[in-house]
Amino acid sequence: MKKPTSLLFALASSVVLLSHCATKPQPEAAAGPKTAATTSEATDELDDYAVVQVSDPLEPLNRATFKLNDGLYSYLFKPVSKTYETVTPRPVRRGLDNAFENIKFPVRFVNSALQGKFDRAGKEVGKFGLNTIAGVGGLFKKSDEIPALADVSAEDTAQTFAEWGLGQGPYVVLPLLGPSTVRDAVGLAGDYALNPANWGFAAQGSVRDLAWIPSLANNIRLMPDQFSRYDESKANAVDPYVSVRSVYYQNRKALEEQ
Amino acid sequence: MKRRSLFALVFAVLCLQGPMQASTAEAEQQLRKAVDEVLSIADRESDKGKLAEAVRPALMRNISFETMTRRAVGPGWKLFSAAQQKQATQLFTTLVIRTYSSKFTPGERPVMSYQAAVSPAAGRVDVPTKLVYKGSRYSVTYRMEQAGSWKIVDVVIEGVSMIANYRSQLDSQFKSGGAASVIKSLEQSVARPS
Repeated sequence: MKKPTSLLFALASSVVLLSHCATKPQPEAAAGPKTAATTSEATDELDDYAVVQVSDPLEPLNRATFKLNDGLYSYLFKPVSKTYETVTPRPVRRGLDNAFENIKFPVRFVNSALQGKFDRAGKEVGKFGLNTIAGVGGLFKKSDEIPALADVSAEDTAQTFAEWGLGQGPYVVLPLLGPSTVRDAVGLAGDYALNPANWGFAAQGSVRDLAWIPSLANNIRLMPDQFSRYDESKANAVDPYVSVRSVYYQNRKALEEQ
Repeated sequence: MKRRSLFALVFAVLCLQGPMQASTAEAEQQLRKAVDEVLSIADRESDKGKLAEAVRPALMRNISFETMTRRAVGPGWKLFSAAQQKQATQLFTTLVIRTYSSKFTPGERPVMSYQAAVSPAAGRVDVPTKLVYKGSRYSVTYRMEQAGSWKIVDVVIEGVSMIANYRSQLDSQFKSGGAASVIKSLEQSVARPS
């Protein structure tokens, strides 16, 4: 019981800390009709891609971590991911993905509610119920067949912080986990704590009782998708570090706006 | 006073709606045609290595690579010589075609559904789509502009704009070493096996 309490405390104190040193984030090369087209940065009147510098004071360290991660991915984790893809037929992987996403329901439900999006929270309950019962414990994503439930934007803890007006803080490349910001990293800890797949491990904290298996399985099943996204942001890039950073900021901004 | 301005607004919207709808419909139709064309080529080509070359002519017809390159480079573009602009456009075209075609896996046909197109400015239409590919759902918005015919000027996948992404990279290249540095970095990316 000690573990979750201390995790919760760490989470709460970092939120307080964050709100004190909150600086407004500056999205990088934002694409959207809201940006002024007539700045000196524009190349023509319909150009709205003005480049805004992101807050990256740790860039030298981040670049080093980025390189380290890239090596770890290539030589350690991609082989694991490939092996998983080879030994598991696609329908099985699909089913596992669906089941783990279904189990993650508290992350989406709690954060929808914390943002006051009760309609969305209600839809999450509907999705969870439908997929668990009609989808055999979440193995089949029955909710995709219902238009109203097919595109419910998934909320997470970092989006809740954004909704509450917390500043993003500087960009950080986390060892193993990759691109994030100070705020979003705290959000990741929140998501981890809210995901039932991790509860067994977090509560026991012992390797001997097999409670770590769901958590590990969840991380392995996520790999193929994450690596394909990572490789895509890197492929054909002029500067892979900047490309991955830009993809991160743009994607998070889009999620926050939904 | 308030009522009158409301009336003026309603009237203005009514006046605008006619031509606006016509242009969004036209842009969407052009996009559907382009997407169908590219998908049917991608469907026939089973060799992933040859895909980029196979779809190249169709993409050349439907994408405005000049606009894309200019905006990807950013304000520094004005300081490029005509020859440098041409060279940068050629290199960037190859890069975009490669980026686009690398997303296809032979034998996997994406299912697209089109959503209501919007026109954020005169001569510009954004067409949001939902894409189901290999069992996953993606949101993809095509940004189109009218230059004679309607052409694609950006593809925004899950909120990530391809052009904004290149702008962040190429703008810093320009700031560090001018047009020569931009072209050199593009050459290096094209030379790197994808």
